[in-house]
Amino acid sequence: MGDIFTNLGLGFGVVFQFVQWTPAFLGGISIPIPVNILLCLIGALVGTLVGVLPGIGTIATVAMLLPITFGLPPVGALIMLAGIYYGAQYGGSTTSILVNIPGEAGSVVTALDGFQMAKKGRAGPALAIAAIGSFFAGCVATVLIALLGAPLTRIALAFGPAEYFSLMVLGLIFAVVLAKGSVLKAIAMIVMGLLLSMVGSDIETGASRMAFNIPELADGLGFATLAMGLFGFAEIIRNLDAGGETDRKLVQEKVSGLMPTRRDLKETTPAILRGTVLGSILGILPGGGAVIASFAAYTLEKKVAKDPSKFGHGEIRGVAAPESANNAAAQTSFIPLLTLGIPPNAVMALMVGAMTIHGIVPGPQVMQKQPDLVWGMIASMWVGNLMLLIINLPLVGIWVRLLRVPYRLMFPSIVVFCCIGIYSVNNAPTDVMIAGAFGLVGYWLIKHDFEPAPLLLGMVLGPLMEENLRRALLISRGDWSVFLTRPLSALLMAIAATLLILAVLPSLRKKRDEVFVESEN
Amino acid sequence: MNATPGHAPVKSIMPKWVRNPQEFVGGIALMAIAVFALWASSDLQGMRGFSFGAGTAPRMFGFLLLGLGALITVVGVVTEGPHLAKYHWRGPFFVTVAILTFAFTIRPMGMIFAAMAAFLIAACGSPETRWTETLIVAVCLTAFCALLFPYALGLPLQLLPTFMIR
Repeated sequence: MGDIFTNLGLGFGVVFQFVQWTPAFLGGISIPIPVNILLCLIGALVGTLVGVLPGIGTIATVAMLLPITFGLPPVGALIMLAGIYYGAQYGGSTTSILVNIPGEAGSVVTALDGFQMAKKGRAGPALAIAAIGSFFAGCVATVLIALLGAPLTRIALAFGPAEYFSLMVLGLIFAVVLAKGSVLKAIAMIVMGLLLSMVGSDIETGASRMAFNIPELADGLGFATLAMGLFGFAEIIRNLDAGGETDRKLVQEKVSGLMPTRRDLKETTPAILRGTVLGSILGILPGGGAVIASFAAYTLEKKVAKDPSKFGHGEIRGVAAPESANNAAAQTSFIPLLTLGIPPNAVMALMVGAMTIHGIVPGPQVMQKQPDLVWGMIASMWVGNLMLLIINLPLVGIWVRLLRVPYRLMFPSIVVFCCIGIYSVNNAPTDVMIAGAFGLVGYWLIKHDFEPAPLLLGMVLGPLMEENLRRALLISRGDWSVFLTRPLSALLMAIAATLLILAVLPSLRKKRDEVFVESEN
Repeated sequence: MNATPGHAPVKSIMPKWVRNPQEFVGGIALMAIAVFALWASSDLQGMRGFSFGAGTAPRMFGFLLLGLGALITVVGVVTEGPHLAKYHWRGPFFVTVAILTFAFTIRPMGMIFAAMAAFLIAACGSPETRWTETLIVAVCLTAFCALLFPYALGLPLQLLPTFMIR
């Protein structure tokens, strides 16, 4: 127990660090500035700002804003990125409550009851309960990360290459099982991501692979480039198809009376608790994350409710539970990333990309070698959640005004912003062209019902998987049975196989689809 | 999401035995990508004894994708599914041209020109664009980016065309 307090103490020390700023015009007087808190605040604000824009999901937001953190020191950059992530999450909920088309997949569920509440003039309480639920879930998740961080790291250090490979296989299988849509197509997307990650030079021999003598490809496809193409550009093109303005039904009434009534609070407390627990569990699972958490929480609320018919007509519990769940999951999904170095979902994959750009290789070693970074980030999560609560409720008016910006002005701005962002990563015009090409690829994938998120996950895990596979086979002298003879590895493989079989069984598939079906009726 | 109309008989270019064209075409495209990757990595060294060569992993994933693509194609024949989604050319075309314009002009012409040009070309992608407001927003956004990226974020971006600096 003592460990946790020391660690959290260290974390809060990092977050509340003051830097003396001595500007020349003050004549030598220095002002202490809490840099990391400011970065967290800016991140949360900017994240909400972009996340609120309809049609831009969390992944696209984080990908788009990645370049603005490049100039910062690693700790500050990661704290800001985490802030952007929560901000984007919360911004997405605001959009789905006030406009009927939600900004992101995770808040499709919130829109069901949230928009109905807004239509009845109760947008204020809906937004407030979403914020309160998210904050509570965030607090619980922060404690959970602090509790699980150290022990999981110890386990991870005992892992050999064979175990690591099996763990990644399990993670990818989880990602497939918990994703929406066809299992087969999701696996195909992961393999395509793995294949794309092979482009560039081979880690061991240095041989150039599938680079066609293009110098910009010699280092491999840039991760940020690919993400911005697949999520930024592709989303823009897809939204243009949908015809922009026509189907945007913005709530016209003024948002007034923010505070939920005492009855609301009494009704939602158990829902928030259930949502938090469910979300925390689903977040830790590899492949889990905010989307599945909110769907599952909504389904659970409907199951336990005395009168399920109220759901879909402005039931406040239908907002509270999924919002708490997706925030809890968003945060606990940092656990596999920080302790094992394995990103459980596409947003965390982006985090890995950001860490690599700052020269940090995610994994159990980070926790030991750079404890200030890890614990600083964990402490910043709690601070970030508090800030969301403080900044969002008074700023609702601004977000509402932002929602009125027409898409015809928004999308060229996003195109330009993404272009500059991609170019600034390496100062390479080729990167911009590659991102453009992947924008078209992403558009094609969406048109054919292929999810681009597993592709991104495969892309990040590719090099790690190859390296561990090679090492495991080298140690076992080419014996493939090593994955099944080492007990821990065998256990992981067995779970993966069972999951995959269960996922293709028709009865379970029906159950899984049932969870996702809510959004359609 | 799928707005494929059930009532209006869409003329399909697919033969009748393809009952799920969406999956069928998707699967074939994946197989094509896999074949291309296999061809591109064919010059790389394979297994040396029991240790991996540079080409082993790419080939492994290539064959895996080929198999999965084939499976999806088969699914496209044996299951019932929606027609091919309708593609619109206007949005993708102008956004792509805008991105290419940016890529080709950023080095010689600097950020101010490249951003303006990309904004205006991208704006052509929507039939709802009104030019006066678009021009105003384009100028404002360019000014904002010109301040944000080089000054506030300290990223080395050249703002003006090369010939004006020399």
